[in-house]
Amino acid sequence: MSVSPPPSARLLKLGVLASAVLMLAALGLFALSLNGRDHDDGDVRLVVTAQGCEPRELSVPAGETRFSIVNDSQRAIEWEILDGVMVLEERENIAPGLHQPLTATLAAGDYAMTCGLLSNPHGTLHVTANDDAPAVALSRQAFIAPLAEYKVYLTLQTRRLVEAAEALHQAIAAGELEAARTAYREARLIDQRLAMATGLYSDLDERLNARAEYFAKREQDPQFVGFHRLARGLFDAESTDGLTPIAAQLLEDARTLGERFRHQAIPPAQLANGSARVLEAWHAHALDSKTLSAHELLDLQGLTAGAEKIVTLLAPLLERQAPNALEGLQARLARLQQDLPEQSNTASGAKDSRDVDREALLADTQALADTLDSLNRTLALNG
Amino acid sequence: MSPRSLFFAASVFGLMALQTPVQADVDPEALVEPVAEYKLYVLDNIDQFVSHTEKFTQAIEAGDLERAQALYAPTRVYYERIEPIAELFADLDASIDAREDDYENGVEDPDFTGFHRLEYGLFKEQITQGFVPYAKRLMTDVNDLESRVQGLTFPPAKVVGGAAALMEEVAATKVSGEEDRYSHTDLWDFQGNVDGSQKIFELFKPLVAEEDPAFVDRVEKNFAEVEDTLAHYRHETDNPEAGFVSYEKVSQTDRRAFVGPVTVLAEDLATLRGKLGL
Repeated sequence: MSVSPPPSARLLKLGVLASAVLMLAALGLFALSLNGRDHDDGDVRLVVTAQGCEPRELSVPAGETRFSIVNDSQRAIEWEILDGVMVLEERENIAPGLHQPLTATLAAGDYAMTCGLLSNPHGTLHVTANDDAPAVALSRQAFIAPLAEYKVYLTLQTRRLVEAAEALHQAIAAGELEAARTAYREARLIDQRLAMATGLYSDLDERLNARAEYFAKREQDPQFVGFHRLARGLFDAESTDGLTPIAAQLLEDARTLGERFRHQAIPPAQLANGSARVLEAWHAHALDSKTLSAHELLDLQGLTAGAEKIVTLLAPLLERQAPNALEGLQARLARLQQDLPEQSNTASGAKDSRDVDREALLADTQALADTLDSLNRTLALNG
Repeated sequence: MSPRSLFFAASVFGLMALQTPVQADVDPEALVEPVAEYKLYVLDNIDQFVSHTEKFTQAIEAGDLERAQALYAPTRVYYERIEPIAELFADLDASIDAREDDYENGVEDPDFTGFHRLEYGLFKEQITQGFVPYAKRLMTDVNDLESRVQGLTFPPAKVVGGAAALMEEVAATKVSGEEDRYSHTDLWDFQGNVDGSQKIFELFKPLVAEEDPAFVDRVEKNFAEVEDTLAHYRHETDNPEAGFVSYEKVSQTDRRAFVGPVTVLAEDLATLRGKLGL
C-alpha cells in the first residue's frame, strides 16, 4: 500500500487562495450578469412611479423582449402585460426602490400595461411586426394546452352522455316511449359531438355507433346493439320492447368511454384528421339517402358542434402558423352552421327534413372535412 | 494557466453552476392529463365559489350582518384556491379581490369593490346598509368569472407556475395580516392558497418523482409543516371547514414561523416549470 506524502502547508495555502479567487471571479461575473444588462444590454427599462408608468407608451419589436421594471414608488407593486383583460405576463411584489426583470415573447399588436395602483392609468405597449424574427416551428409543447382542453371537453360531455343514457335506460325499462325518444335524441346528440374521439376505440365505437349494414345478419344480428339498434325500436317499431338490455349496455359503454377519455392520450394529429374522418363518414352515408332524415340531421348537428370545438382549439396555433388556413377553416365551419337548421329536442322531435337544403349541407360538410384533412400538413404534424 | 484563462475557466464554472437550465426529460404529452385534471379541479371549485357567493351576497341583501360575517371567509376560500387562473382576468381580479391600498383614495375610491369592500362594511363599520350594490356587483362578477374560466384553454406554464405563485403570495403579502385586516380571517386564505398550490404539486408530482425524489421529499415535508401549523389554529384540528382562530390571536413569533417553510416552498416550487420543460 502506497501512501502519498502530505501536501506542504504552503501548497495548501496556495490551493485555498486559488479557490477563493475562482469563487470571487465566478460570483463577480454572476453579479455582472444580473445587473449589467440594465442599461447596455438591450433591456427595455420601465419605471413605475406613484402616478403610473414612465414612459407611458413603449414600443418593442415582436418576439422576445427583456423588460426591466423599476419600482420608483413607495409601495410594493406588480407589473402586468395585458391583452384586453387577460394577463399575459406579470411580475409580482417588486419592492420599492428595486427593479426586476421580466422576459416576454409577444406577437405584434397593442397591449396594455398595469402601472402600480389600480387607479393609475394603464400604459400602452406597442409590439411592432418584426420580419427579421424567424418563423418559429410549432413545438410539441404547443399542443399541451389544446389537448388538455379537449380532454376536459370530452370528460364534461361524457358526464352529460352518462346522465342522458341513464334517463334513456330508465324510460325504456319503464316502457315510456315518448320519454325514451326524447332521452335518445339528447344522448345521441352528445354522442356525435364525441364521435371523433370515440372513433379511436374500435370496440366502444362498434358497440355504440355501428349501423346494421356492418353486421352479417344486419338487424337480426345479436352483435347489432347501441344507438342504431335503439333507434330501430323506438322510431321504426315504435316500441320499447326488448330494448332494456341494449340500453343498459349503452349506459355501461358510456361510462367506460368517460374513463378512457380521462386517462388515455389522444394523438395531436387526430384533432384535425379524426374530425375530417367522421364528417366524411356522415357525408358518405347521407349521399346514399335521397332525403335527409331527422336522425341524420341530428347527427350532423352533433358532429358540427364537435368540429367547432376542434376549430376553437386549433385556432391559436393556426393563427401563428397559417392565418390564411385559419380563415378558410372558420369560413367553412360558419357556412355549415348557417345552413344547418336549429335542432329542437321537443316531443315533436327533430326538425323536418323538408326545411333543409340537402345539397348545401352535403357540400358544406365535404368542404369542412377537406379543409380539416389538410390541416396536419399546415401544422407539420404526422402520425 | 494564464490568469486570464483562469478567470475565464472560473467564470464558466460559476455560470454553469448558477445558471444551467434544468434539464427536462419530460414528454410534453405527459403534461396533458395533469393540466386537464387541474381544469376539472378549478371548475369544481368555481362551481362551489358561485354557490357560496350566492349565499353570502343574499345574507347582505337580507341585512343579516351576523350571517354575512360568518360566510365571508368560507366563500373566499374557493377563490384563493384557484387564484393562479382567476387572476389571469385582470379586470375581474381587481373588482373581486383588490385591497383598498390598490387605490389612491383607498376606501373612498368608488372603484373599490368586491370582497374587501364588503369586508370593510361587515367587519369595520359592522353594517350591511349601503352595501347591497357591492354585493350584487360581486355576484355578477363571480358569475362572469365562471363563464370565462369555463371557456379558457388553460396555459400550461401558468398552471404549473401557479404552485409557486400561490406560496409567494402567502409569504410576501399575507403573513403580515394585511389581506383580511378587518375580519382577521387570514388563516382561511392561507389554507386556500396552500390547498391550491398542493393540488398542482400533487398533479405533476408523478412526472418529477423519479428524476428528483429529494425535491419531492422536501416539498412534501414543507407542505406537511405548513399544514401542521395551520391545524394548530383550527377550531377542529382535522377539519379546515370548521374554521380558524382570528389572525389577531396568532403571535408575531408564530407569524414568522410560517414564513420559513412557505418561502422554501415558493423557491422549490418555482423550479417545477423548468423541471417539466415549460
